[in-house]
Amino acid sequence: MPLPEFEFHEPATVDEACRMIGELGEKTKILAGGTDLLVNMKKKLLAPEHLVSLDRIQSLAQLDSSNGSLRIGPCVKAAEMAESDVVISDFPALQEGASKLGSPLIRNLATVGGNLVTARPAADFPPSLIAYGATLVLKSNHGERTVPLTEFIQAPGETVLSPDEMLKAIVLEKPSPLSGSAYIKLGVREALEISLLNVAALLTLDESGGTITAARVVMGSVAPTPLLSPSAEKVLLGETPSDVLFLDAGEAAASDSRPIDDFRASAEYKRAMVRELTRRALTLAFDRIQTQ
Amino acid sequence: MSDKDSKRGGITRRSFITTMGAGVAGVAASGALFSGTSQAKAPEIHKAGEAMRITLTINDHPYVLLVEPRWTLLHVLREVIGLTGTKEGCGRGECGACTVLIDDIPRYACMTLAVEAQGHAVTTVEGLMHGEDLGVVQQAFVQKDAFQCGYCTSGQIMASEGLLRANPLPSSEEIRRGVSGNLCRCGAYTHIFEAVEAAAEMKQK
Ligand SMILES: Cc1cc2nc3c(=O)[nH]c(=O)nc-3n(C[C@H](O)[C@H](O)[C@H](O)COP(=O)(O)OP(=O)(O)OC[C@H]3O[C@@H](n4cnc5c(N)ncnc54)[C@H](O)[C@@H]3O)c2cc1C
Ligand code: FES
Ligand code: FES
Repeated sequence: MPLPEFEFHEPATVDEACRMIGELGEKTKILAGGTDLLVNMKKKLLAPEHLVSLDRIQSLAQLDSSNGSLRIGPCVKAAEMAESDVVISDFPALQEGASKLGSPLIRNLATVGGNLVTARPAADFPPSLIAYGATLVLKSNHGERTVPLTEFIQAPGETVLSPDEMLKAIVLEKPSPLSGSAYIKLGVREALEISLLNVAALLTLDESGGTITAARVVMGSVAPTPLLSPSAEKVLLGETPSDVLFLDAGEAAASDSRPIDDFRASAEYKRAMVRELTRRALTLAFDRIQTQ
Repeated sequence: MSDKDSKRGGITRRSFITTMGAGVAGVAASGALFSGTSQAKAPEIHKAGEAMRITLTINDHPYVLLVEPRWTLLHVLREVIGLTGTKEGCGRGECGACTVLIDDIPRYACMTLAVEAQGHAVTTVEGLMHGEDLGVVQQAFVQKDAFQCGYCTSGQIMASEGLLRANPLPSSEEIRRGVSGNLCRCGAYTHIFEAVEAAAEMKQK
């Protein structure tokens, strides 16, 4: 399956990349792992005149966990996220998403940045990243700006990135020690599967370990963009964790979800699954606080 | 060229291909010039439709090639160099027929631009041969009868080889996950899992 013709650029630094995308104009695309972009080009959905590859910019492919936060370079691969010690110990929901993305061979190519910019409703990284309160650093020739991930994704395939901008980093604060988190992906098979729906949950308890001081439930594939559930948060805040509470939170999350009937499942089924996956994700998150 | 290199020439894969019954004979490297020179540094901008000169290291041989930026590694392996052991199935990252190792990591060659493979070590199924002898994973696939039509087999073998290089003694769960990016329409999975287990044992000896 041939690709359409394009001019190929391989900048060595972020500044060089920004200059190129600034100067080359609208028909330019950034190439990271290519698992979305090259497929769309092969399907003739896209025919950019210029591809700017980030492959040679090493600073974009690094995970940095010094000084209490995690800074993820956009070109870090899903496979690296799934195997990173910091991600495994401090951001288990991200690890779970990374290790379920596509197949092992897709994970060796697919990057975190590509997953966010492509903005698919079912994508595996956004829900956990939103639960952890990720902010994104965007850079162009004119400077840098910081945008929370919740504002970055606008609609399926649409983000606030302007054509001359690139994603430079994804920044997460390390959750407090009394936090637990989890991510559950529902599909009909174990590999090479896009989520039917997915749920990420994060819980933080007060010092005595009694009441919930922070809670986030984020759902994917039940709305045009990943959805942070305000109702679930309201149900959980200030309460003591219990099975009944997590069931109520699931109910609340389901009421916030806006799934549609499609060839994969009915809206009704998806809403029922939001309820159940939310309950399970919260239970898992709570277990993780206790076993820490 | 070192001793090890000279043992891994292009023609030795034939007996393997015959064993697999794929019936595709190797075409001599048309358009591929063998060269002993070291890696050339690529220019920064490559014009559309214009052939550019790159050096790829494939199965320990440096190849100096004229390629277009839009050519995938899979296209260059099969159509330019004539290493037809690597197969094209879906062409879009879903089946694994095109699996090769890049710096020991299994990757879909249909989703990798040839230009981007510069400076990395590419290993194809032909590169697992030791002279006329099959490599360990290949032998295990033959012994365990881990294929029917054989179309997915080079990909399965390369994914397994990559898995065993990273994890010499995988659990059966790890084997299943390791080849989960490689589909077999003939459904030879059970035998494939057994072959990987056998290969792991053979490699220990
Ligand atoms: C077989 C298959 C299975 C898949 N399974 C899953 C799955 O289970 N879950 C899932 O979430 N996804 C899945 N995907 C989709 C895809 O693999 C992911 O979205 C992946 O993370 C995309 O990353 P990439 O590096 O390949 O992106 P690319 O294809 O390189 O880029 C995607 C888009 O992002 C832009 N871009 C990339 N990096 C930057 C940057 N730093 N700044 C600005 N723009 C940028 C590109 O221009 C392009 O528009 C699958 C894809 C395939 C082919
Ligand atoms: S041909 Fe590359 S994955 Fe199918
Ligand atoms: S043996 Fe026929 S596709 Fe696997």
